[in-house]
Amino acid sequence: MNIKNYSKDDLDNILSIKGNSLYSDAFKRLLKNKASLVSLIILLLITLLSIFGPYLLQYDFYETDWNSIYLAPSIESRHYFGTDGNGRDLLVRILYGGRLSLSIGIIATLVSVLIGVTYGTIAGYFGGKLDTIMMRIVEILYSMPYLIFVIILMVIFGRNIYLLFLAIGAVEWLTMARIVRGQTISIKEKEFIEASKSLGQSSFMIIIKHIIPNLAGTIIVYITLMVPSVIILESFLSFLGLGVQEPLTSWGVLISEGSREMETAWWLLIFPGLFMVLTLASLNFIGDGLRDALDPKEY
Amino acid sequence: METILSVNGLSVNFDTSQGLFKAVDNISFSIEKGECLGIAGESGSGKTQTFFSITGILSDNGTATGIADFNDVDLLKLTEKELSNIRGKKIGFIFQDPMTSLTPHMNIGNQLIEVSMVHEKKTKNEALKKAKEVLDIVKLPRIENLLKKYPHELSGGMRQRVMIGISLMCDPLFIIADEPTTALDVTTQKEILKIFNDLKKFKDITIALISHDIGVISEVSDTILIMNEGHIIEKGNCQEVLISPKHEYTKHLLSCVPEWMK
Amino acid sequence: MIQLIIKRLAIAIPTLIIIIAFVFGLMRVAPGGPFTNERALPPEIEQKINEAYDLDKPLIHQFGIYLSKIAKGDLGPSYKYKDFTVNELILSGFPISLTLGVSAIIISLFLGSLLGIIAAIKRNTIFDYTVMGVSLIGICVPSFVLAPILSLFFGLYLGLLPISGWNGGNIYNLILPVVSLSLPQIAIISRMMRSSTIETLNSNFIRTARAKGMPKRRIITKHVIRSSILPIIDYLAPATAGLMTGSIIIEQIFGLPGIGRYFVVGALQRDYTLVSGVMILYASLLMLLILLSDILRGVLDPRVKIK
Repeated sequence: MNIKNYSKDDLDNILSIKGNSLYSDAFKRLLKNKASLVSLIILLLITLLSIFGPYLLQYDFYETDWNSIYLAPSIESRHYFGTDGNGRDLLVRILYGGRLSLSIGIIATLVSVLIGVTYGTIAGYFGGKLDTIMMRIVEILYSMPYLIFVIILMVIFGRNIYLLFLAIGAVEWLTMARIVRGQTISIKEKEFIEASKSLGQSSFMIIIKHIIPNLAGTIIVYITLMVPSVIILESFLSFLGLGVQEPLTSWGVLISEGSREMETAWWLLIFPGLFMVLTLASLNFIGDGLRDALDPKEY
Repeated sequence: METILSVNGLSVNFDTSQGLFKAVDNISFSIEKGECLGIAGESGSGKTQTFFSITGILSDNGTATGIADFNDVDLLKLTEKELSNIRGKKIGFIFQDPMTSLTPHMNIGNQLIEVSMVHEKKTKNEALKKAKEVLDIVKLPRIENLLKKYPHELSGGMRQRVMIGISLMCDPLFIIADEPTTALDVTTQKEILKIFNDLKKFKDITIALISHDIGVISEVSDTILIMNEGHIIEKGNCQEVLISPKHEYTKHLLSCVPEWMK
Repeated sequence: MIQLIIKRLAIAIPTLIIIIAFVFGLMRVAPGGPFTNERALPPEIEQKINEAYDLDKPLIHQFGIYLSKIAKGDLGPSYKYKDFTVNELILSGFPISLTLGVSAIIISLFLGSLLGIIAAIKRNTIFDYTVMGVSLIGICVPSFVLAPILSLFFGLYLGLLPISGWNGGNIYNLILPVVSLSLPQIAIISRMMRSSTIETLNSNFIRTARAKGMPKRRIITKHVIRSSILPIIDYLAPATAGLMTGSIIIEQIFGLPGIGRYFVVGALQRDYTLVSGVMILYASLLMLLILLSDILRGVLDPRVKIK
């Protein structure tokens, strides 16, 4: 093998060129997958609606109107999704809830990815005793009813939205750490890592420049699969009254209200539920599609 | 001489995401009873798929067309059920990777006896008796003990012997050995090849030995068939072909064999 | 095998102690002790209360007392339900939660694995697509959306099933909660089982079994299932954890007085002894299940014994 004749920069170039074409290929494959494409469009639509929709509607999400309590969905009343027990417009509340649910999903996922990737690469790259100890810790944490921990945390430290981000992020990183560790172990055996080592690159640089870029595919897939589970977690807590608090709202809060009032106003349960399920399904389809696109091996 | 297998105009196609892939392209050959045919070629030449296709163990995306008369029955016309009555009973198989080719959660004894119990409706005791016989043929020691062991407790060479034993359970007419020695070290290779020679000599079993290793083939085979890219390049008496190859590709293939083996 | 169990216990017991210490620590640092929202008490009464609950002793001493009590199976008095001990509360709720949980887990394991295997064998057929499509919905519709919708439809609209209450464990009262609790798990397990069965079907030893001329049914029952079920065995503990958290919601929605209910009420009212009692119970149950799944794995996979 004459790989040692390459300079450091050459090596990086070769690797990054390969990387780029891999990802653009994967993106093309993703767009060919109809389920993923439709999901991508739906998700984009829901996101854009959540961001800009509230400006286009004439109601505010906290605006109560005692003359229009429990209005069924109709076009004439301009309450397209109906109103709740305080006469608030449901559509605008769903869109506001979407902002919160989606941003919690994204932020908490990023927190957990950050922790998980750091932890996983360190355990996987350095291996040996360190790996054994680190993974034993993950194993122990894994066996705990972690959601119950989150509940306890929320109870004790108050129902604070920033804490919610942190608490969810802090329990969701375990899967990420496991997967990243496994991948790191297989990547570090590859020749190009050996080559970088022989060029005298430090462990830190190898992890940053070679290992993490090669993990990117896996990480992206798991982000798309983790966001939905975080959204569910948030809604779960909100449903129990431990998450987002009034006057703020999230899909979980709306569903919780809706399920309590479904006997009088079915739309309060069905519409928020629909938005949430559509989002979760889209994310799952995109995640599945991405996984297939990045790993073209078929079963 | 009696022809045991005669293949005519066999083609094998795989339906892949990149389109149709032709693995074997309209080939014909035959094997006589008691003969050992060596099939040589690089990986991807279609040598394995030829034999997988006629016995119905292609992967799901593969299809085979043509005629493959085995004992005057066209294998390609049989249903999956009829084929499975022939596989293991009249045709034995030995695969490349002995490490993964045995069921990990079943002990050796059960993997052996189920062949006779299913095909010949033998009782467990009769099947066990047969199992001990075949393990003796493949020269495995401490048979009683071995029957209770699981595959992961055996070495690669021992597992390959068990594989051969399984293929012998119903006294087959024909054995297909797909790269049987590739995953083994050289000493074990020799021992396995010796078993093949014994089977030929004492049991009069017809063997198709598929290998990329011309050295292995030359030790056991009477005739040789050189394949490349789904075509048969050359066929003939093993010694003759190896000493004076007619075709360029065969010469090229032979040039890859280390000097000392010639 | 025995070594394995001992090794597991060696991990499980310290883990439990860590969990207990964690819960105990949280209880002590938590703002708003058990009696803070009540009127200010005269100092001597507060002193009495502190003594009664051992709150006047050093922290490590308190932990010692707490731990030894737990070891004896005493989870202490409830802070909020003054007349009850935590044990009494848990005992009253446990049969309900256990019935719910055990039925849900059996149904999800059985149906999930069965559907997964069939989908894998009949890969790329209508059956496969249907199972996978429905299971995708099962994964995307969280139980707190599914449960109200189910009770809206079957309870209120069709009037077929009661939508709340325990009613002494009447089977009709159980149907909706158990179904809403198990559907997400059935979905997850069937997908898992499908992909692991497909992986097994593609493995070399299945090719060997086919080459041995084994009938299809025998290949599936003798060669495939024991290998492809292993990921499900590993999933047993996470599935239980999922069902535990799920049951918290389900018991709330269907008004079942199980321990999940007590947990939520305890959490909302800062009844720390009750919350930590439930927490410890959950953790011990999970440890038990991990042990169980290890044993099962050892039975099913001969390779485990050597390690």
